[in-house]
Amino acid sequence: MCFVVWNQKPMNTEQHIQSFRNTYAALQNEIVKVIVGHTAIVEHTLIALFGGGHVLLEGVPGLGKTLLIRTLGEVLDMPFNRIQFTPDLMPADILGTNLVMETDTGRREFQFQRGPIFAHLILADEINRATPKTQSAMLEAMQEKQVTAGGELRKLTEPFFVMATQNPIDQEGTYPLPEAQLDRFFFKILVGYPSAADLNEVINRTTTGTKTEVNKVLDRDTLMDLMKLVREVPVASHVKDYAVRLVLATHPKTDTAAPIANQYLRFGSSPRGAQTLILAGKVRALAQGRFNVSFEDIQAAALPALRHRLIPNFEAEAEGITTDHIIAQILRDVPVTAEMVDA
Amino acid sequence: MSELQFIQSALEQTARRRRLARALHGGWIGLLVGSALWLLGIGIYKLAPVSIGWLAGAGMLALGCAFAGFIAGGWRKASLNETARWVDMRQNLKERLSTALEVSSQPSGSTWNGLVLADAAMSIRGLDPRRLVRFTLPMTARWALLLLCVGAGLGFVPEYRSPKFLQQQADAQHINETGRQLAELTRHELQRRPPALEVTRHSLEAVADLGDELARETLTRGEALRELASASDQLKELLRQLADNPALKKLEQAARTSGGRESQTATEVQREIDALQQQLGEQAGRPEVLEKLQHELMKAQQTAQALRNAAGGSQAAAQEQLSASLAALAQQAEQAGISLPQLDEALAALAANQIESVSQALEAALTDLERRRDLADKLQQLQAQKLGKDLAEQLQQGQVAAAVQSLKKLAEQLWSAGLSPEQLQRIREQVADAVAPAEEYGRLAEWLQQAGQQLQQRNPPMAAQSLTAAAKELEDLLQQLADAGALMTTLENLQAASHCIGTGQGWSLSQQPGTGGSSRSSAGFGAWADQHHAWSNPGSWAGSGGESSTAGTGIGSRDFSDGDPTLREPLTPARVKGQFSPGAPMPGITLKGVSLKGQSTVQYEEAVITAQADAQAALSQEKVPRAYQGAVRSYFDDLKK
Repeated sequence: MCFVVWNQKPMNTEQHIQSFRNTYAALQNEIVKVIVGHTAIVEHTLIALFGGGHVLLEGVPGLGKTLLIRTLGEVLDMPFNRIQFTPDLMPADILGTNLVMETDTGRREFQFQRGPIFAHLILADEINRATPKTQSAMLEAMQEKQVTAGGELRKLTEPFFVMATQNPIDQEGTYPLPEAQLDRFFFKILVGYPSAADLNEVINRTTTGTKTEVNKVLDRDTLMDLMKLVREVPVASHVKDYAVRLVLATHPKTDTAAPIANQYLRFGSSPRGAQTLILAGKVRALAQGRFNVSFEDIQAAALPALRHRLIPNFEAEAEGITTDHIIAQILRDVPVTAEMVDA
Repeated sequence: MSELQFIQSALEQTARRRRLARALHGGWIGLLVGSALWLLGIGIYKLAPVSIGWLAGAGMLALGCAFAGFIAGGWRKASLNETARWVDMRQNLKERLSTALEVSSQPSGSTWNGLVLADAAMSIRGLDPRRLVRFTLPMTARWALLLLCVGAGLGFVPEYRSPKFLQQQADAQHINETGRQLAELTRHELQRRPPALEVTRHSLEAVADLGDELARETLTRGEALRELASASDQLKELLRQLADNPALKKLEQAARTSGGRESQTATEVQREIDALQQQLGEQAGRPEVLEKLQHELMKAQQTAQALRNAAGGSQAAAQEQLSASLAALAQQAEQAGISLPQLDEALAALAANQIESVSQALEAALTDLERRRDLADKLQQLQAQKLGKDLAEQLQQGQVAAAVQSLKKLAEQLWSAGLSPEQLQRIREQVADAVAPAEEYGRLAEWLQQAGQQLQQRNPPMAAQSLTAAAKELEDLLQQLADAGALMTTLENLQAASHCIGTGQGWSLSQQPGTGGSSRSSAGFGAWADQHHAWSNPGSWAGSGGESSTAGTGIGSRDFSDGDPTLREPLTPARVKGQFSPGAPMPGITLKGVSLKGQSTVQYEEAVITAQADAQAALSQEKVPRAYQGAVRSYFDDLKK
């Protein structure tokens, strides 16, 4: 059954919102046909998609990270490329290069051969297996939505999503991503092991010879419309203030710092963290049928939005304190509003 | 009603109710704090010696705290935005209301505003502020009520007060009462006999002020006694200064010996003397004879008492000795013309070996002798106070009031014209005779000499003026004497107050004879105190002062045997157990005073002052034998130094 919702007449805001909900639900339904369990991961991936950000999925091999991204590429009716990062991958392999080509007239000239980055949806598989030099090739593309190759600046077509996967950095043959690049990811999603029931379902689906078909439910233009709609969702000032206070609480050695940040963090979140919190909150509010962002939306987005933006110090690493622990504690420490504390 | 109005209306109701709830909550917290303070106040009141004002204060504080908490709780009016956020949280509205209120304040036109408002209005459609904000008893209120109940229960628990505190409280009350009495008596004295001398008036007013201070302030016994002692010292000093005036001394001695009988006519006095002489006989009228007999009789009584405890051979010997001494006593009494049949009865009882009857008979004989001695004293006084026949004799006998009258009479005679030379001569002789005895009365002798010279120069008007001036000199002296009397009365009041405070007795008790009061406590007051009981009895002053001060000599009687008959009985010296022989080892004497047992908690100075007051009382009541009075007085005077 096809849930395609594009090619419709111009809609008013209410219809637009309803369309968003339908699309969101359709995407979820299609993805869960392939991905067993991992509901939160799917949700976060979709939030990042509608928020216009890139996603980094981290997990040990074989947990379905690539499958999730590939499925998402399948349900979106947009050009999709996969780049397998390896230690010998060069930046030109990603961005493209100038090749000597013979024209119809027999003349030879340099022509730019586009790399796989020139697509709407990029699957950067095992991104941390590439060398830092190659990883850095992604920086400009991810933030500026453009690449500089062969001395020319080339714009990438919007929407442009990078969905990267990486293995835990303590594994063999990995190069940790630089902080600057990590900060460019909207969400960092941790993929954990499936539960027993989920694993059973995975076995059932993959060992019986049945093949699951997924439908394309969203085209480029509709996605752009919905992304625009997301940004219109109103956010109350005290909710924005909460997001700001959460981010400020991660800045160690400042007046606003939470005690745990002072103890275990070397660097706190960048302003991108606050932007992410608000954008993610807006998507979540719309997805849940609301017209406004709530504190709960901000709190739900806090872990994936901030965990890769906090740099723990040596003490935290020595004690095995993860950024997830720190964020959870900050969420407990920072009150939503002063009045609610009174109440 | 638009969606926004609907939201605002619901929020306003909720805000009002929430404000009231906050006020109530604040009130409960205030009540809890106040209850705790009240409970603390009760606890302190029950355990520590604080005034009951504490309790009232704590109660007021509790109410004040509750009220303040109510006011503080409801003081701040929450805005609609705050209320919206609160309702969002309470109803889990996911910030719908607060966002709606916020977007409604922004420029309208956006579709989103309408959507958000509609969504918010929909979410609170069934909102009931009464159910949202319930007025229930919070835990704070329960604790507050519990504390109040505990406090009320604690109210029935009796207060603990240490014996020391109770004593201090009783002392303070007693000091206040004594101070009030002192102030009243001193003011009464000031009103009754306004002092002639400014310094006397100031001193008496200072004593009245001291009484007020004692009545008003809360002083310890030691402090009060120190204040009283200081005031007493000042009065004593003043009295000493007065006593340094030989004229006043003479007047005082004369007043004491005359006994205040100047108002009686000489005939009446003579008649009374005759009656007493007839009653007592020639020899029996001499107090020294009676005193000797009394002394011997007391010895015999001691022997009789010793006989009761003796046994065997020693008893027989003692019985024989007693018989001999009784026989000798009977003979002495017969020679002195005193009839003592009790001695014969005692001899008969001794012969019958009835020792108890012997003691009783001797006791009766002693009483009889004492009565005779009183009569003899009285006779002696009467003999001494016969009014002099002329100015010289009156001055010699210290009959000052009569002398004043005589001087005035002489002056009047001189003023009147037509005195014969013989009459003038007689007046001149009378004045000349009076010059010598007048030497002791200040400038009186000078005035008399001047008058004599003027009479010699045949200048009666000038002589009359000199005699009037002489009379004025005497009247001034009398006035000073009256001042001294007022000072003495006040001094006695101070002593009585000291005694009251020192012994813890009431004023009326301390005024009664035999209870250590000051009615006869003149001994020990410096120059005046060395005399008998002169200047010392306020009762006698009240009874015989006033009118008599100008009518007779102007000096109140100090003799207890006359004056108000109702006062006579209580002022009669009571017989005390144990008789002391001068020169014999001093037996133990129990002095009334503060009972001090165990570890002393009384200040040394306080103890000394109390002991001094007791000793003074004992001396004045003749509890201390005369032979030892000097030693006791000097001992306590040394302590004072």
